[in-house]
Amino acid sequence: MSNDAWLHALRSDPSPVFNEQLRARLRTQEPVPLEAAALSRAKDRGDWFRRALIPAAAVITVALVVSVPSVRASAAQFLSLFRVVNFVPVAVDSNRLDRLQTDNLEIGALIGEHVQVVQDPGPPVTVTSVADAAAAAGMTLAVPQWLPANTAVLETAVMGERVVRVTANSQRLQQVMDALGINDLRVPAGLDGQVVNVRVPPVAMIRYGHGNRRTRLFQARTPHLTLPQSVDVQALGEIGLRILGLPAGEAKQFARALDWNTTLILPVPPAARSFRQVNINGHLGVHIEHQPPGESPTHVLLWPAGDRVFALVSIANVEDVIAMANTVR
Amino acid sequence: MAIEQVLPARLARWVAAEPDWEQVYAEQLPRVLNFFRYRLVDTADVEDLTARTFEKAWRARHGYRRDVAGFATWLLMIARNVAIDHLRARERYELLDVATAVPSLDKSPEQQAVQHSDAQRLAALLATLPPRQRELIAMKYGADMTNRAIARATGLTESNVGTILHRAVEELRGRWRGTKS
Repeated sequence: MSNDAWLHALRSDPSPVFNEQLRARLRTQEPVPLEAAALSRAKDRGDWFRRALIPAAAVITVALVVSVPSVRASAAQFLSLFRVVNFVPVAVDSNRLDRLQTDNLEIGALIGEHVQVVQDPGPPVTVTSVADAAAAAGMTLAVPQWLPANTAVLETAVMGERVVRVTANSQRLQQVMDALGINDLRVPAGLDGQVVNVRVPPVAMIRYGHGNRRTRLFQARTPHLTLPQSVDVQALGEIGLRILGLPAGEAKQFARALDWNTTLILPVPPAARSFRQVNINGHLGVHIEHQPPGESPTHVLLWPAGDRVFALVSIANVEDVIAMANTVR
Repeated sequence: MAIEQVLPARLARWVAAEPDWEQVYAEQLPRVLNFFRYRLVDTADVEDLTARTFEKAWRARHGYRRDVAGFATWLLMIARNVAIDHLRARERYELLDVATAVPSLDKSPEQQAVQHSDAQRLAALLATLPPRQRELIAMKYGADMTNRAIARATGLTESNVGTILHRAVEELRGRWRGTKS
């Protein structure tokens, strides 16, 4: 016992009765959605760059091609993605991020100068049922046919369609490449000024509760990207892979092997504990596990199916999460 | 056009994973409860204030931003405000409570506390500290927070927190040992 043990003399465990009474009381109190939404909106500005690095968020947003988070932007924004058939996870080299930060290269801001929001649906809107969510999203919602015991639907919400237009800027991309010492590749000729249109169809969310654990299922039709045929997508893809940290030879080989029209590179943030490819009901998906400091391991499952992209985000055990994913119909 | 006007920020927040509330509750309940034990003179309200803290946090948990503070720090910031409100409301009565709950300082702490348990002795000594020192002691030894987390919760610098805590502990230690006159 340390010399300061006497300073802990007042500490004691909560009484079991108090513990249970308070726990029971909290269980009856769900958060106030409107209050939360208001808080969320109020805080929605200012430090986007930092928040974009939140592992799960960054993973999902990139996966849905709706994010422009830091270095990943170069890979995600400039790739020709017409339909997501495959997710391919690539670990982000944290040294690359550090180097860019050292050079004050906030790529998000740089690219942001060239992003035009054509259609902004605003924040997600809570609806009263899965049927209402389906109506708002304009599609029949797929749901897990198997759920853990004592599961209830706690919330359904929909975020409307968003359309953005990104104008490519060769100079910015070259700056990033220079900062990262990527000297053996060149920005494809004719890229500058080319316009990439990104359309992200409505995203529906169903939040399930199993006791105090939560699992959320997100689904949307595949995002659409259009860009001029003249753009060398493979060359851009190789640059993107190098920016993420792949060695030169590997990036070149990888870039040649991938079908860039159907493959979504999924940058896995350094904070992720693990990631692997998984088979979800016959489709190749990705399972990422990360654990924010002081919190439980969180599982993120992403998979495409037909014309849709699904994501399950959960703190339940991984077997349950995969079982749910496998029965989403 | 600012980058945050593009959709990812909202969707990112929407999709960001929730903590395991069951685990959070189990881990944080003793810390919050003990924060109040150290912070308040009158221990009769400790459970009530702990419950109030958790209810506030529970209602607002979707507004919690993990990029700004760890959950424990966020929760303790709520507890701190609950304590401040409570102490303000009870200011008039607390003087009476102190008078009855805390032994007079006319005698040495050793003399006063000779028949009391260590917990009672410590409570009596804590009551003699200025509010700021006591608050920081409560965060450090009640809630088991690091100096950095305390700095984040109070707005003080980390070195300032260390200095205040050092003085407070030395003060308490001296009295505990009966070496302080």
